[in-house]
Amino acid sequence: MAKETKLKVQDLTISFKTASGKLQAVRGINFDLYKGETLAIVGESGSGKSVTSRAIMGILAGNAIVEGGKILYGDKDLMKISEEEFHRIRGDKIAMVFQDPLSSLNPIMRVGNQLTEAMLLKNKASRRENKRAMNDMFSSIEKFMAAAGDGETGKTDIATFRKFEEKHCELEQEYQQSLAYAESAANLAENMVLRIQNKAVAGIKDDTAEVCTNAKKACSYFVVRAEEARLQELVIHILANEKEGRKAKDYTAMIPQLEELQKILRNALAYEKPDTFSVGYYLTYVEKTVPDMPVAQLNALAADKLNSEFMDSFLQKIEKAVKLSIEQTDAHRKEAIAEIDKAIPVLQGTLEKNDATALAKHLKEKIILCLNPLEVTKDSLTHTFDTSIDYAMKLYFEGIEKNKAEEKRYNSQKAKYDRIAAKGKAPEWEVIPASYVDLEVAQQDIVGIVAEMKPHFEWQLENNRNGDLHKRTMEIVDYLKECAAESVYKISKGMAKERAIKLMASVGIDEPRRRYSQYPFEFSGGMRQRIVIAIALTANPDVLICDEPTTALDVTIQAQILELINNLKKERNLSVIFITHDLGVVANMADRIGVMYAGKIVEYGTAEDIFYAPAHPYTWALLSSVPDLNTVETLESIPGTPPNMIYPPKGDAFADRNKYALEIDFEMQPPMFKITDTHYAATWLLHPDAPKIELPQIIKNRIAKMESNRKAEEQQ
Amino acid sequence: MSEIDTRESILKVDHLSMYFGKGGYVKKAVNNVSFDVKKGEVFGLVGESGCGKTTTGRTIIKLYDATSGSVYFKGQRIVAGTQGYKDEIKALKQEMKSLGNGADAQKRMQECTARIEELKQEIAKAKKDHKHCNEQYRAQALEELKAEYEPKIAAANGEAKAELEKEYHKKCSSVKKQKLITKIQMIYQDPVASLDPRMTVKEIISEGLVIQGEKDKEYIMEQVYEMLETVGLVREHAGRYPHEFSGGQRQRIGIARSIIMKPELVIADEPISALDVSIRAQVINLLNDLRKSMGLSILFIAHDLSVVKYFSDRIGVMYFGNMVEMCDSEELFAHPLHPYTRALLSAIPLPDPAQEKGRVRIHYNPLVDHEYSTEEPEFREIVPGHFVRCTQKEFEKYKAMRQE
Repeated sequence: MAKETKLKVQDLTISFKTASGKLQAVRGINFDLYKGETLAIVGESGSGKSVTSRAIMGILAGNAIVEGGKILYGDKDLMKISEEEFHRIRGDKIAMVFQDPLSSLNPIMRVGNQLTEAMLLKNKASRRENKRAMNDMFSSIEKFMAAAGDGETGKTDIATFRKFEEKHCELEQEYQQSLAYAESAANLAENMVLRIQNKAVAGIKDDTAEVCTNAKKACSYFVVRAEEARLQELVIHILANEKEGRKAKDYTAMIPQLEELQKILRNALAYEKPDTFSVGYYLTYVEKTVPDMPVAQLNALAADKLNSEFMDSFLQKIEKAVKLSIEQTDAHRKEAIAEIDKAIPVLQGTLEKNDATALAKHLKEKIILCLNPLEVTKDSLTHTFDTSIDYAMKLYFEGIEKNKAEEKRYNSQKAKYDRIAAKGKAPEWEVIPASYVDLEVAQQDIVGIVAEMKPHFEWQLENNRNGDLHKRTMEIVDYLKECAAESVYKISKGMAKERAIKLMASVGIDEPRRRYSQYPFEFSGGMRQRIVIAIALTANPDVLICDEPTTALDVTIQAQILELINNLKKERNLSVIFITHDLGVVANMADRIGVMYAGKIVEYGTAEDIFYAPAHPYTWALLSSVPDLNTVETLESIPGTPPNMIYPPKGDAFADRNKYALEIDFEMQPPMFKITDTHYAATWLLHPDAPKIELPQIIKNRIAKMESNRKAEEQQ
Repeated sequence: MSEIDTRESILKVDHLSMYFGKGGYVKKAVNNVSFDVKKGEVFGLVGESGCGKTTTGRTIIKLYDATSGSVYFKGQRIVAGTQGYKDEIKALKQEMKSLGNGADAQKRMQECTARIEELKQEIAKAKKDHKHCNEQYRAQALEELKAEYEPKIAAANGEAKAELEKEYHKKCSSVKKQKLITKIQMIYQDPVASLDPRMTVKEIISEGLVIQGEKDKEYIMEQVYEMLETVGLVREHAGRYPHEFSGGQRQRIGIARSIIMKPELVIADEPISALDVSIRAQVINLLNDLRKSMGLSILFIAHDLSVVKYFSDRIGVMYFGNMVEMCDSEELFAHPLHPYTRALLSAIPLPDPAQEKGRVRIHYNPLVDHEYSTEEPEFREIVPGHFVRCTQKEFEKYKAMRQE
């Protein structure tokens, strides 16, 4: 089965500007993250693992410079997209769990508020954004309808559509909210029954009030319609009984009523969902009140009316508009292809700044026209052409300037040095060799960005030729419906609370209802880390980055958190990047492992590869410096400390601390050698000419022991 | 406690309790913990965070005033809490109030009064011990010196006599400055936070000596250099500041600071938790060397069980302020008896993917695993040297389990 790649990191290079020089934190790393797997990145502090994860999240520190490389998520390069676009990915699609649960929670905010904060804010933002998207779509449809010949009728149709769409949203929201209230009241009633039975009656008064108000709010046409009278009656009884109970200090009289209430609400939750779109039309244009009939019947009636009176003709008009829009953009695309063909030879030649900028501007204008406004899924490659080409141009022309400055510096320094040397003195300093920006690569980039548009457009033209117009039309209508629903879908505080409580329960926090209103200091370390994980999960991300989530915790809690992350991964099919320095933790979690040292991945393979057949001396050192339960001999410590990455060593960064280092290790950086299809390592020891070196005894023994254990288990 | 190990115990912790909080809410951080550390032994204290390991260490070194129980160091009581006695007096007074008239009651009354008097004396003695342990230690040391020198001085005469007297006085004055508690030293968890950034390494390491009243600068420097070399640093490092060192080196400075006082017991409070993997091994190896060369006893507090197993001779497992199991490290890992210990052992991550992925973790829930409503658990010896906190019924069960 081919694995779906979720995230692809290519040649990522990041440095930091510091007072004492440029610190090279990440030096060209590559890895893929597949869907539903855990990739562990192991290394010491300062090896660049956290920097990598922060780059993926787009939260690098201000003094970071991204020198090159790509992080591909879907078809987007996260290094190039605008901050605005990143907002939609960060947190929503890629979420992060930070190392220290103490400092990543706000100490003066209740846990519940911290959980719901993002939900409420995101909801507000998405309402605003969807409204804008919907209006944009409407105006483009109107434009194309006018161009296709039904200007006036199109305009009235759109007005009609908008009007009942509003009603649809109103109904939908009412329905959703009633559902949420019903669910909340049912859950709380269940919880109260349990508490009364166990005599834990603190706070029953407030909860009773909450149950009653929520139950009342749940009464709408679509939810709890038949039993509404009974429900109101129950609420009155419950309130009265609670008062009695408070006097007598015995609440058992409330139990049957609470149970009945819960049953009614649970039944209501299972009712059929009304087709609010059609019903919206029905209520706006056919009848003002809802007729007394079951939901299924009403749905059918309303849908029938809608299609015969309005929808069919409206769809035809949209289809015409879509056809026109496709014809127009296709013409633009053909034009653009011709332009690209013309531009490429120019770009491949010598570049003059003014000419090149003018050409880029011309290309940008042509290419932006190729965006079809009536397309639901945005064409991101065309969309980001603007920013990509600007960025590449900037790199190239700034590179020219930089190279000039560098040459000037080098020449003057060299001249000074020679002058002193000519006098027969040896200067105490050395001439720093000139480092130039590689202009060829920068130019290749520019050409590449333009060239890749051509096959892209050709592919689109081909697609449009065989496209299904009706399908496109339905897509647009669905998109409008969705936008409208999203733009009014308001998450109330009560709904957010219910969702937060569900999440808290799913990360294994007991009594989430009580814990919801506590402060972080009332939680233990492990519980706090669970809250942090729950916050990361609020938006249902596909990729979860865990940056040393268990380092601050002790063994039992650590095991709990690891189990939790593993379970969540399976349940939600998450892809996890797990960053840690503890190899024991990695053995538990990881499907594949990347070992990082001094900003590079030195070994890369499946968990079995790394633990049973480690190939890089650094991995050996890491494995042998951790005692396991059978270690008795002196531990093999790694001498020295990691190199200062302001002055990265010329050869292999680990050579200084490596007792197996060869001479070449100090001279040249080793390339990645392939050991098996899944296993790679960057060490000269794997070169065919290298001397054969045995694994350290301590690891050999351990692997032998693990194998014998496994065999023993298999026999059993 | 039966003696299977004949070595003299250097530290004896006896029913030590340390409660925090006043009024209605009392947090029992350490509750009735007893153990002893033998000379030259490493005693590991493990448990999850918040179980009272660090509090135990800090109470021993008198950073907190113990609530009740005592700690004996080299036979001298250095920590003595009084709450236990006070509670007993309170209970007796209650009992006296409820007693009626009659011959039996009168007799009991007398007994109680006598006992209260006794306890009050105990309290006075404990307070004295707790406050004046150093003076008592000095007085004892002075007496020993006197016993050693007096016959010699009496026997000698002339110049030799004057010489001896001079030596005797010098020794006496140095003994007068000594504190018993300085023979216990501590290594802290975080090497960054525990070193003053505004002091040079020399100042940090020598601070203890200076506080003790050492004025001889040459002697101090000599000691500092010696300690630096012992922990694997070089003389040149003495003039630098802590921020110029890496994590592992900083922890070495912390170790040098504690061993310059020539301690007999070192309390190492999670000395490796804040260090990188590759540096951890360096520090463990160093502590191991020191222990051999200086004959140190170490109370090693940690939560990383594989390191504790590697480093300790005996291990005590703590859970919510109580010591739940204590025995040899080999024995503990081979035959864990208390359910909490089993849960703890089942959670150790191992560098073996195949085993890890099939691992079944044992969950510990004190409400389910124990039945303490009828009987308070006590610390009982299952086999010689292996203690578990359990009730009588559990005791039988564990014994059967151990024999299997």
